[in-house]
Amino acid sequence: MSPSLVRFVIATRFALIEHVRNQFAMALVILFVPLWISLGQFMIVDVRVSFRLWATGQNLIARGNELTQISGALNAVTLIVGFAMFSATFSSGTFDRRLAMAGYPRPQLLLAKVASLVLASAVVSLYATVVMCVYWSPRQPVLLAVSLFSAAMTYGAVGVALGTVVRRELEGIFLVVMISVIDLALQNPIASKGADTALVRLLPSYGAMQSASAAGFSHSVLLSCLGVQLAWFAGAALLSLLAFRRRTRSAVTGQVPSSTQGAPCSLPTARRPRSTTRS
Amino acid sequence: MKVAGIHHAYGSRAVLRGVDVELPRGALVGIVGENGAGKSTLLKILAGELRPDRGVVRHEGRFGYCPQQVDLNDAFTVRQHLEFFRIAYSLPDLCRAEEIMEALRFSEFAQERVGVLSGGTRQKLNLALALMHDPDVLLLDEPYQGFDWDTYLRFWELAAQLRAAGQSVLVVSHLAYDVDRLDVLWRLEEGVLRAGAAVAS
Repeated sequence: MSPSLVRFVIATRFALIEHVRNQFAMALVILFVPLWISLGQFMIVDVRVSFRLWATGQNLIARGNELTQISGALNAVTLIVGFAMFSATFSSGTFDRRLAMAGYPRPQLLLAKVASLVLASAVVSLYATVVMCVYWSPRQPVLLAVSLFSAAMTYGAVGVALGTVVRRELEGIFLVVMISVIDLALQNPIASKGADTALVRLLPSYGAMQSASAAGFSHSVLLSCLGVQLAWFAGAALLSLLAFRRRTRSAVTGQVPSSTQGAPCSLPTARRPRSTTRS
Repeated sequence: MKVAGIHHAYGSRAVLRGVDVELPRGALVGIVGENGAGKSTLLKILAGELRPDRGVVRHEGRFGYCPQQVDLNDAFTVRQHLEFFRIAYSLPDLCRAEEIMEALRFSEFAQERVGVLSGGTRQKLNLALALMHDPDVLLLDEPYQGFDWDTYLRFWELAAQLRAAGQSVLVVSHLAYDVDRLDVLWRLEEGVLRAGAAVAS
């Protein structure tokens, strides 16, 4: 394995350790996802409603409680992954900078965050899809999971960006919650009058919501909507990258070789002066 | 390490007004000053953590930096911290880090999560991360905060060993108790460094 790959693998391992030790996020995954979906199943009326899928103009028929489960699952996965990524980035901000200034390559550190985001998003999205499948049969369960995954990835990248720029933890958590609530509430065709307006196309999880709705109640595969969601992820990831680079950069004007080829395996007793010229 | 003409201000409050530093090889140098004099700001600039408004900082050779704020990750164990920094420093093994742990007497906490450690033990790890790659220049910001008396004495033994090995050690403190252990003492006053006497024998 090349040294770059080794650094990436090790940074990813540590990023995953950090997520697994975030007990609150783990509890949210285990409890909040089935709770939200089950509440949708049992608390929302199961009458059939007709709604227009904005992306295709197609009218779909769905039970109210099933449609609410999709909305609830999107809400749950975006909140959990956004919160977990924000929390990990915020709490390790100064530590990451110290690592980078000690010589750890920043691309590997950032790629490790992306790798942990992919894994966390995949696990949470798959779990939410399986829970929904317990209550009803989505027409395209794989596409439903992919749609949830794309929304989770977007909010995870938003979480990394917020974790890098906000100064207080509460600010970041509040922003993740509010963005997700507003985003998904406005798109709910049952609860929102504005779900069929042009404004919703600008919301961060629009692509995922459209694609997930199509996956639940039709045989259409809305690649364009997944593309829109991918664009949102790419934008959020780019913001994260810029913020991370800015936060971990060194301000030293000259060369900063803090890393080394190796250190002697004993406490130093005497070293010959080197011939390095110093001004 | 060469530092010339460092100026820095927070808003309209100028903290550093033209600081020049040239750190001699194999010297133990102290910078003291009152609270708010700008010592930590200066050290952050020397370490590359903060960009000065004006001036040049140039490093040659390896350097280590122990920040005043303990920059650790509570999710990881002591050993995992050392392993992560071993990769950052491109070290072949953790021999040297283990010797520093022995010298500072915290080897028994290697498998403990940092989040459950005492403040003093966290500071020992904070210091070990700055030392484990055998730097040519070592920048230490209040390095013995939280240490008990024995650890405090062991810290100075370690610093003397580093000096004897030809390494340059810069210690920033708001206390001037340790002046007799230093080769050179500088005072940071009104934004400039005023040279003090060479005090160690």
